[in-house]
Amino acid sequence: MMSKSTWLHSTAFKVAALAAVASLVLFGSAATASPAARHSKASGVTINVAIAYPAPPKAMLAKFTSQTGIKVNWSYLQWDDLQTKIAAAAEADTYFADVTDVDWSKVGEYYVTKWFLPLNQYFSVRSLASQYPQISSFERNGTLVGMPMDVSLLVTTINEKAFRKAGLNSVPTTLAQYTKDLQTLKSKGIVAHPLDIPFAAAEGLSTYWYELTAAMGGQVLSASYKPLFTNPSSPGYKAMAWMVNAYKSGLVAKANLDYEDYQGFETEMAHGLAASVFSDYSGDIGTIYDVPSQSSVVGDVSYVATPGASGPAANLGNPDGIGIPRSAEHVSAAVAFIKWMEEPANQAAFAGAAGPKNVISTFPLPSNRGGLSLLAASGKVPGAASLVNLVENHGRAVFPAGAPPWYPNFSNAVYTNLHSAAAGQESVASAISAIASEVNSLNS
Amino acid sequence: MSQSVISRRRRSLAASTHRRSRRSEAMGYAMVAPLLIFILALALYPTVLTTIDAFMHIDALTPPNHFVGFGNFTAIFSNPEIRQSFENTGWYVVFGVGLTLVLGTTFGLLLQRRFRGRGIVLAIVILPWALPGVVEGVIWSWIYDPTFGVLNSVLKSLHLISQYQLFIGTRQIESILLTSLVQVWQITPLATLLVLASLQSIPGEVYEAARVDGASWWQVIRRITLPLIRPGLAIATVEALVLSLNIFDQVYVLNSGATTASSLMSETYFTTFQGLNFGQGYALSLLATVVTVVLSLGALKILYRKVTF
Repeated sequence: MMSKSTWLHSTAFKVAALAAVASLVLFGSAATASPAARHSKASGVTINVAIAYPAPPKAMLAKFTSQTGIKVNWSYLQWDDLQTKIAAAAEADTYFADVTDVDWSKVGEYYVTKWFLPLNQYFSVRSLASQYPQISSFERNGTLVGMPMDVSLLVTTINEKAFRKAGLNSVPTTLAQYTKDLQTLKSKGIVAHPLDIPFAAAEGLSTYWYELTAAMGGQVLSASYKPLFTNPSSPGYKAMAWMVNAYKSGLVAKANLDYEDYQGFETEMAHGLAASVFSDYSGDIGTIYDVPSQSSVVGDVSYVATPGASGPAANLGNPDGIGIPRSAEHVSAAVAFIKWMEEPANQAAFAGAAGPKNVISTFPLPSNRGGLSLLAASGKVPGAASLVNLVENHGRAVFPAGAPPWYPNFSNAVYTNLHSAAAGQESVASAISAIASEVNSLNS
Repeated sequence: MSQSVISRRRRSLAASTHRRSRRSEAMGYAMVAPLLIFILALALYPTVLTTIDAFMHIDALTPPNHFVGFGNFTAIFSNPEIRQSFENTGWYVVFGVGLTLVLGTTFGLLLQRRFRGRGIVLAIVILPWALPGVVEGVIWSWIYDPTFGVLNSVLKSLHLISQYQLFIGTRQIESILLTSLVQVWQITPLATLLVLASLQSIPGEVYEAARVDGASWWQVIRRITLPLIRPGLAIATVEALVLSLNIFDQVYVLNSGATTASSLMSETYFTTFQGLNFGQGYALSLLATVVTVVLSLGALKILYRKVTF
């Protein structure tokens, strides 16, 4: 047996100790080091931009570089992956990117966690209000957590050709008429399952419920984040019952239990297997339904005012934003980049006003009114004018008081229970009760 | 030569031998040092941190961090969704390990025979192993698709179903089995290769002797082949066990966030990165690690036997 003193002086001990120290230094420092020295330089640096959108055309980024001297390294990540990276990097206090995604649903969370630098010192919230229709989604108690990167709405789309084929020549403006029209489409055999609701347990299902609740004249949470959907006569309760009933009665295909939002748009609506999406995304006509390689209904689908309880309803906003993580290395350059992204001409170009060469793929609408006007005036994007009208006249935030900090937990409870109710694993009453119980627990 | 000179030379020779031996020993340690650093940094260090943090309240939405003892574990076991994921993971292990071993052994036995194009078949068999789990999930979501899926199309053309079916999402066991199949498809190639390597190490004389003694095909399999490939089977079992216990990609792609076929790892992901409750996430990870280590060691103890010829 090796004595303690021999072991302490042995080569094995030295190697093990060296390895342990090296690994602790190497990885410990990576995990706990404070952000690298911040550069206040806004020129001659390279910034890392991690966004859930594909990069703009190289020529546009090159123009930004020639104007500012800032090089942009744009990483396109899937939305879910990006949120995981933001959380992991922030929790580990590690550099991740200089500019990244601030989704509307994460604003409450980032306000509490302080993972992003407040942008108030770079942008005036008061003056932005007149230019940005959805700025309130990014502000909490006077703190500007991110800047809107686009304007995005939950909108209703219908396949006009299918509606006409069923003898439905006027656009439904009330939910009762809309439901009747869907039943007519089904009973006349025009479309076997005319409505697309993505019932997979994912975010798209939650937002569908919020939009339908808004159409029924309500909202899901109060200003103090109390559940407003527990009473069977409340809009939220009725909206969930309507969705589950639409599934069980065959207005929605059985397959939708497995479909997330984009699967439904691309598999059903784009191929004429559904005739309407009640809560579609603004921009889907231009990016999916009117793209011949992806669609067999080119020119048939249009945006309509969302049918409500007694007339056109509100369209809830679900905009993407951009912000600067606390661990960013080049803050000044990041601010310059955000300002460039927000320029009305660039915003309009990203959405297609300058032709298909300059678009950011799947980009919905410009974040500000200057960009929206340029887009509508260009006449190059299908349905842009009607979308701008919806933004200005019917747009509303999902949560007027801003998304709660625990929004992801809430949404998780919504989509898992709503999915289970459609699958027949629980009743609507029990799904509602489970969601309310989660909200109460999150509030306590 | 005087006695003292001899003695000096002997001492010098001994010292030189000792130095050489120490140099060679040091060289050995230097060679393994990078691996040691790698293991310490990427396995041991995070495990130690995870173990400590599993007993802490670390929630980005409700700071500050503080010690909570077994609080995270109590919360985990009182959460019905997480309890459901434990049960589901048990099913993933049953299906994953069972099917991988049966298929891996069967393919190993088939590929042991020499036939034309065997090399090509081997290359094709190994392909699924090389694909990332998410890619496989996407491929199989197309196979299972209730509107355009290949599986529906095949079953309908064989008149086994009258209309297209929804395979995943409604029934727990069916959803888990079909999700598990995707992973089995991925890990069976490695199990096949492990079994095949073990089969090829069995000397032909053993089979010849059995044949001379009049052993039937089944007796040869049961009494000779299976006992002699136990080392390969043991490693294949551990591989299937570890991957089934930690199944995530396939569940996430095919099942989204539904609890019907959720797994321990998908719940860990949602708790940690969606709920931002890192403390409970660490506790779940620690539980997964402990269960994986205990079951793997148990499987090795039961299955592994040193085989010498």
